Amino acid sequence: MPGSVLGTEVRRVEDPELLRGEATYVDNLPIPGAAHIAFVRSPFAHAEITGIDTGEAEQADGVLAVYTAADLDLSPVRQLMVVNPDCVRMPLASERVRFVGDAVAAVVAETAAAAADAVELVDVDYEPLPVVADPEDALADDAPLQFPDLGSNIAAGERDEAGADILADADVVARARIENQRVAVVPMEGNAIAVEPGGGYLGGDYDLTIHVSTQMPHVAWQVAAKQFGMDADRIHLVTPHVGGAFGGKIGMIAEHQVVIAAVLRLDRPVKWVETRSENLQAMPHSRAQVQYAELGLKSDGTITGLHCNVIGDCGAYAGFGGGFALGPTRLMSQGVYRIPKISFGSIAALTNTTPTGAFRGAGRPEAAAMLERIIDVGAAELGMDPVELRRKNFLQPDQFPYETLVGATYDSGDYDLPLREALRAADYDELRKEQQRRVDAGETTLLGIGVSTYVEITGGGTSEFAAVEMADDGRATIKVGTSGHGQGHPTSFSMLASDALGIPLERIDFLQSDTAQVPRGGGTGGSRSLQIGGSAVREASELLVEKAKELAATKLEAAVEDIEVTGDGGLGVLGVPSATVSWAELATYAAENGTTLAADTDFTPDGASFPFGAHVSVVDVDTETGKVTPTRHIAVDDCGRVLNPLLVRGQQHGGAVQGISQALWEHYTYDEDGNPSTGTLADYLVPSAMEVPMLEASNTETDSPLNPLGAKGIGESATIGSTPAVQNAVVDAVKHLGVRHIDMPLTPQRVWQAIREAQNGAPADPWRDPPEAFATLPVREGPDPYADEAAV
Amino acid sequence: MQGSDAVELVRPDTLEEALAAKAERPGAVPLAGGTDVMVELNYDHRRPEALVDLTRIAELATWSASGGHVRLGAGVPYTRLIDELGDTLPGLAMASRTVGSPQIRNRGTVGGNLGAASPAGDTHPVLLAAGAEIEVASVRGARRIPADTFYTGVKRNALAPDELITAVHVPSAAVPAEQFSKVGTRNAMVIAVCSFALVLRDGHVGAAIGSAAPTPRRVPDAEAFLAAELPWGTDAPLPDSLKRRFGELVAAATEPIDDVRGTAEYRTHALGVLARRTLTWAWDDHRGSVRACA
Ligand SMILES: Cc1cc2nc3c(=O)[nH]c(=O)nc-3n(C[C@H](O)[C@H](O)[C@H](O)COP(=O)(O)OP(=O)(O)OC[C@H]3O[C@@H](n4cnc5c(N)ncnc54)[C@H](O)[C@@H]3O)c2cc1C
Repeated sequence: MPGSVLGTEVRRVEDPELLRGEATYVDNLPIPGAAHIAFVRSPFAHAEITGIDTGEAEQADGVLAVYTAADLDLSPVRQLMVVNPDCVRMPLASERVRFVGDAVAAVVAETAAAAADAVELVDVDYEPLPVVADPEDALADDAPLQFPDLGSNIAAGERDEAGADILADADVVARARIENQRVAVVPMEGNAIAVEPGGGYLGGDYDLTIHVSTQMPHVAWQVAAKQFGMDADRIHLVTPHVGGAFGGKIGMIAEHQVVIAAVLRLDRPVKWVETRSENLQAMPHSRAQVQYAELGLKSDGTITGLHCNVIGDCGAYAGFGGGFALGPTRLMSQGVYRIPKISFGSIAALTNTTPTGAFRGAGRPEAAAMLERIIDVGAAELGMDPVELRRKNFLQPDQFPYETLVGATYDSGDYDLPLREALRAADYDELRKEQQRRVDAGETTLLGIGVSTYVEITGGGTSEFAAVEMADDGRATIKVGTSGHGQGHPTSFSMLASDALGIPLERIDFLQSDTAQVPRGGGTGGSRSLQIGGSAVREASELLVEKAKELAATKLEAAVEDIEVTGDGGLGVLGVPSATVSWAELATYAAENGTTLAADTDFTPDGASFPFGAHVSVVDVDTETGKVTPTRHIAVDDCGRVLNPLLVRGQQHGGAVQGISQALWEHYTYDEDGNPSTGTLADYLVPSAMEVPMLEASNTETDSPLNPLGAKGIGESATIGSTPAVQNAVVDAVKHLGVRHIDMPLTPQRVWQAIREAQNGAPADPWRDPPEAFATLPVREGPDPYADEAAV
Repeated sequence: MQGSDAVELVRPDTLEEALAAKAERPGAVPLAGGTDVMVELNYDHRRPEALVDLTRIAELATWSASGGHVRLGAGVPYTRLIDELGDTLPGLAMASRTVGSPQIRNRGTVGGNLGAASPAGDTHPVLLAAGAEIEVASVRGARRIPADTFYTGVKRNALAPDELITAVHVPSAAVPAEQFSKVGTRNAMVIAVCSFALVLRDGHVGAAIGSAAPTPRRVPDAEAFLAAELPWGTDAPLPDSLKRRFGELVAAATEPIDDVRGTAEYRTHALGVLARRTLTWAWDDHRGSVRACA
C-alpha cells in the first residue's frame, strides 16, 4: 500500500463550496411561503408583567398572529444541564421578566419587517422590581431575589469541609481575587431556525420538518419530540451549514420552542433568524466567574495546597454556565501540578442578566486561568521564575494514568514536553534579557513574557454513531452522528475512510446532521468529534473491510485471510496480482447476493481524554497609556496523535484568538439597572485581523490510550492555554513595580491604573475575603455529581 | 409610536435641488455615506420624515487646491482623501486612516463627521488645529464657519435647519508638521477614548482635543505656550521640560466624562501623554524640513 494519508496536511475538501458562497444556511433555504417571527423582549432586567395588550399588533398589516405565554401551552425550557430545577424558565415570560431581552411575546407576520414593526405595537405593562446584576452583590443578605421561594440567589453551592486549613503548612500563601469576566459567544451566524409543517420542501412523510442552526442536531430532535409530545420519527430535523457555534448553539432554546408552536398552530412554515442585537442579548453568555484563589507554597516553591472559592454567574433562570463553578472548573482545578491538598467552594449565583451557558472550553478555561494566574502571583511572591515554579511542581510522565484529588483521571501527559518546545520557540532567555534591558534603560514600553501550562478535559464518556457504505459506483458514504460546522470533519473523517478502504478522498461522500440519514448522534461539543466520531468512522470502515473481505473471498475463491485491501480501489488476493475485485464490483456482487456493502458502529471511548500544552505570550506594555500590544504568541498544544496538522493548526489559531481576545478586549457589562452597556459590536470588542499577532502554533504528540486514533480534543485547547499566558505577560511586564494582578480584560485604562497605583507606592492588594455566603454552603459528599459536565 | 411610517427618500441631482428640498423640509435628514445615519435608523434612535440623499451631487464629491488651501467637498469619502490628499493634508489623512474599517472609509465622509458632530469624531481635532473653515449653504446663500465656532454642543453644530455643509477649507501643509493620535480600546473599528491633533506652521501652533469635553475643542493656553517657546526655524531637539509642560497644559484644558470606554481621569492623563508624543513627532517633522532647507 502507498504511504498512508493519515498524519498529513490534506487540504479541506469542504472549502471550495464555502469559498464560492455555495454553502446553505438556514436563512437562505428555499422554503416556500415562510412567515417570520419576531420577539417582544423585556427592556427591564427585573419586573413584574402586569398586562400585555396585543390588540393593535394583531391588527397591523401583514401580521398573522401574536402569541403570549397564555396562548401557547409550552413546556419549560430544558437546559443542557440543570443547575436548579426550581428555577424554571418558560419560553415566554408571563409573570416576571428576569433579564433585559427576556422574551415576552412573539409576532408572526408575512415578512420580517412587518413582524419587527408589529413588535413595537405590543403593549406590555411592567412593574419594575429591584435588580441585581453582579454575582457578588447577589449574595448579600438584602439582595433582591429572582426566585423568592428559593430564599437566596444561590441556585447551587457546596464546599469542602477543610477550607483554608489546608494552607496551614505553607511558608507563603499567594492570594488573589480573580475575575474571569463575562463574554459573549458572537458566532458569525446567530441563532436561526425554520420550521415547516409535514415533510416541508424536502418532502417525506413527517409531521414536522425543522431546519436549525445547532451543533447537536440529534439532541435538538429528541428534545423537540419530548417537548411537543411527538414521536421523534414523525419529526425530520436537518442542520444545514452553521456559521459558528462555539458552545452557544446547544439544545432547544426558548425561541425554538415558540417557532415550533407557531407552526403547529398556523400550519405554515415559520422562520426566525435573530438579529445581532438579539444575539448579544439572548444567546447564553459565558465565563462570568469570580474566583478567590489561595495557593500555599514552601519557600523553595513546592506547592502545599490550593484553596478556592468560586462564584459562577448563572445570569437569569439558573443558566447552566453558572454551574461550571461546581463542575468542570473544580474538576480541572489541579491542573498540571502535584497539589497535595485542594479545598474548593462553589456557588452558582442568580443575577438579572442574560443566562450563561457554554463557550469554547466551558468551565475549563476558567480553571486554567485561575490556577495559572495564582501560580504567577506565587512566583512573584517568592521571586522565582514562573517557569521554574511550574517545573518544580509538574506531574511527571511516569505518573499516568493519574487520578487527581478532585476526581479526574488524566489519561496521558508529559507536561514539560510542550513547555520545552514553547520556550525554545520563544527564545525565552533572550526575551528575559531584553525585558531587563528595557527596564534598566528606563524605557516606557516594557516587555512582558507570560507562560501558561494547562491540561483540560475533552470527549467525556459518551458514544458516537458512524456508518460507512459502499455503492455500486465505487463511491463510499460516511454517515456520522457528530455535527461539524467548520472544524473540518468532512476532510478528517474521509481521510480515515480513505486510509481503511484504499480509495481516494474524491470518492468519499460525507453525511451528517440529518435525522433521516443518520439515526443517532451526540453532535459536536467538548472537543469530542475526532476522538469519538472519528474513532467510530474508523471502526465502521474496518468493519466494512471485514465484510468486504468475506465477500471478496467468495468471489475470488480464496481464503479470507489472504484477502487484502489493494490501495488502488479494491481488494485482491495476497501474492496474486491478477486476482482483484474493485469496490464497485464488490458492491454489485453484494447486492446480487442479497446483502449490502455497509457497516455501522457505536464507538464508546474508555474515558475522557486530557489534552495539554504550553503557551508563551509576548506583549509590549506602554506604561504611559497602559496600552498592551501582543507581539508574539507561541502555542504548543498536545492533542495526542495528529491526523491532519492543517486542521489542528486551524483550531489552534481560532482558539488562541478567542483566548487572547478574552484577556485583552472582550467584556459584556451591565449597568446597575441591568442594562447591557456593551450590547453592540461597537462596544463589545471582538478582535479584527489588526489586533492579533501572527500565531506560532505547533504541537507535541503524546498519544491517548483511550481510542484507536490516539487522539485528544483540540477544539478548545488553545482558548484555554492562551488567556492566562497573555494575562500573565501583561502583569509580568510591570511586576517589578509591585503590580501583582490586573483583572481581564486588560484595557489601557486598567493597566495604567495598576501601574500608577504601584508607582505611587500603593499597589492594589489583589486579595479580599470572599463573600460570607461560602461559609453557609453544604459540605460536599460522595462522588462529584457534576463531574460529567466536563463533557460540554 | 407608529411602526410602519415610511421614510421618504429625496434624491436630488444638484446642490440647488438639495438646498431647495432642505428649505422646504428643514426636518429632512441629509444622507452622505450613511455610516452614522443608517446606524441611528437601525436602532430606531431617529425616524425622520425624509432623507435627502446627497450622493448623486457631483460637486460635493470633488476637491480642489489653490492659494495654499484645499477645498474638500463634503461628500469626498475618506478613502479618496487618504489616497489623493495624503501629502497635502497629512493631518487630516492621518485621522482618516483611523476611522472605522475599509468599508466605513469607503463610504464615510468629512461632511458626515461634521454633520454628526460627535465629540469623538476623528476629523474634528485636526480641522480645529489646522484652522479649517466649514463652508455651508442654503437657498439664502453661502457662508463659512471657522471650525472654532462650528461645534456648539454634544452632537450639535452651528448649521441652521435649512443649511447643508458643502465643503471644508483646510490650509495645506507646506511642511508636513501635522500629527493626529488617538487612544482606543482596539486598533480597528474603534471609537476614540480620546484623541489629539497638533499642527505646527511658521510660528503658528494649532492643538485640539477630541472625546475629552462636550465638544471637540482647541487648547488655547497650550497653543500659546508652544508658539512662544518653540525654537522655530532651528532643528534643535525639544527639552523634556517643554514637552512635559505642554502635556500638562493640554491635560488642564480637558473636561471629560466617565463612560464605558474610559474614565475622565484616564482621558485627562492619556491626553497629556498624547500631547507630549505628538509634539515630539511633529517637531521631528519640522526639524526634518529645516534640515532639508539648509
Ligand atoms: C462601524 C463604524 C465605525 C466607525 N468608526 C468611526 C471612527 O473610527 N471615527 C469616527 O470619527 N467616526 C466613526 N464612525 C462614524 C462615521 O463613520 C463617521 O462619523 C463618518 O464621518 C460619517 O460620515 P457619513 O458620510 O457616513 O455620514 P452620514 O451617516 O451620511 O451622516 C452623518 C450626519 O451628518 C449629516 N450630514 C451628512 N452630510 C451632510 C451635509 N453635507 N450637510 C449637512 N449634514 C450632513 C447627516 O444628516 C447625519 O446627521 C463609525 C461608524 C461606524 C458605523
